[in-house]
Parts: sequence; C-alpha cells; structure tokens
Amino acid sequence: MRLGYVIGKVTLSQQDPSYTGGRFLLVQPLSKEQFKGAPMTPLAKGNSLVVYDNLGAGPGTLVGFTEGSEAAMPFEQPTPVDAYNASLVDRVLYHPSV
Amino acid sequence: MILARVDGVIVSTVCHPSMRGSRTIICQPLDERGREEGPPLLAIDPFGAGEHQRVVLSTDGGATRAFVHDPKSPLRNMVIAVANDGDAAGQP
Repeated sequence: MRLGYVIGKVTLSQQDPSYTGGRFLLVQPLSKEQFKGAPMTPLAKGNSLVVYDNLGAGPGTLVGFTEGSEAAMPFEQPTPVDAYNASLVDRVLYHPSV
Repeated sequence: MILARVDGVIVSTVCHPSMRGSRTIICQPLDERGREEGPPLLAIDPFGAGEHQRVVLSTDGGATRAFVHDPKSPLRNMVIAVANDGDAAGQP
C-alpha cells in the first residue's frame, strides 16, 4: 500500500460492468517530503496513476491505495484493476528518524 | 519480505472493511546497511510495533487475507516480525 494525493478524476463513457458503483481517480503518490508535511503542490515527481475508488474520494483527498493483483480481490468476478483505493486518510503521523 | 523501520501511523475512518481494527503503519524500507531505500510504504501491524523499531514486512497478499479473515481484502503488506535488536535508531 502507498499513500497518494488525488489530483483528478477520470470520467468514462463506456466501462466494464464490474466497475459499476465506483469511479476512477488520478492519484499522485506522495514524496518523502510530503510525508513530512510539505505542501501537495507542486506535485511530487514520478508518475501519477489511475486508481479505482468506491469509498467516495475526490480531488484533494489523501488516500491509501494497493497495487498489483490484490487490487482486484474485492471484486465479485475477475476484473482488470491494478490499483484500488482501500482507505481515505484522515491524518498522517510521520516521524522519520534522523 | 522487506526489512523496514516504523516511521509513523495513519488514521483512517473510511476504509475497506478488512482494515477495521488493524493499525496501519508507515514503514521505511531499509537496505542491508540500514540505509533508507525507496519511498515509505503502508502496512498493517498486528504486533503494535514501536516508532523507529525495525520490522519485517510480508508482501504476500494471500497471507494478509488469511490474517484479516477476508478473502476479498485488497491488503498486501503486513508486519510479520519485530526485530529483537532494541535499537530505536534502526541501525544494524
């Protein structure tokens, strides 16, 4: 699981029926500085990714998402998903040792 | 399995049902010399590992699904061991 910042949504005109009830978010994984409390803009370096969400996240939300085959586990039938939003993060308590 | 240091926790009220009741910690993966390697990860922690303690993470989704008793859980990373070195700085 990784932490990410929701920077947008993807709207679909046609979709696989198993996606019903969810939405797709554009998520930028957090940099180490942002874990420490740095502002979310400018965005962290690295690729953003599309994450399936059925918890109700929107732009500006901090999310914990899982990747890989585990992302498809919550679905009833085999579904082509490789990133799944598992939690809406209220608070991050981060104290890296120096 | 990954050697990591506990660097924090997250608080979440809206989450997948399989995460309820589990602590979710922020882990910094370490290399063989104890140096930070890559970005922090999230993992569920059944042991209550202390801040800056070194832990071993399993990245086996099947084991985590068995632990949370939910075959539909999307979780993957889980603390499976706490290092017995008593070194809060995470140094080897």
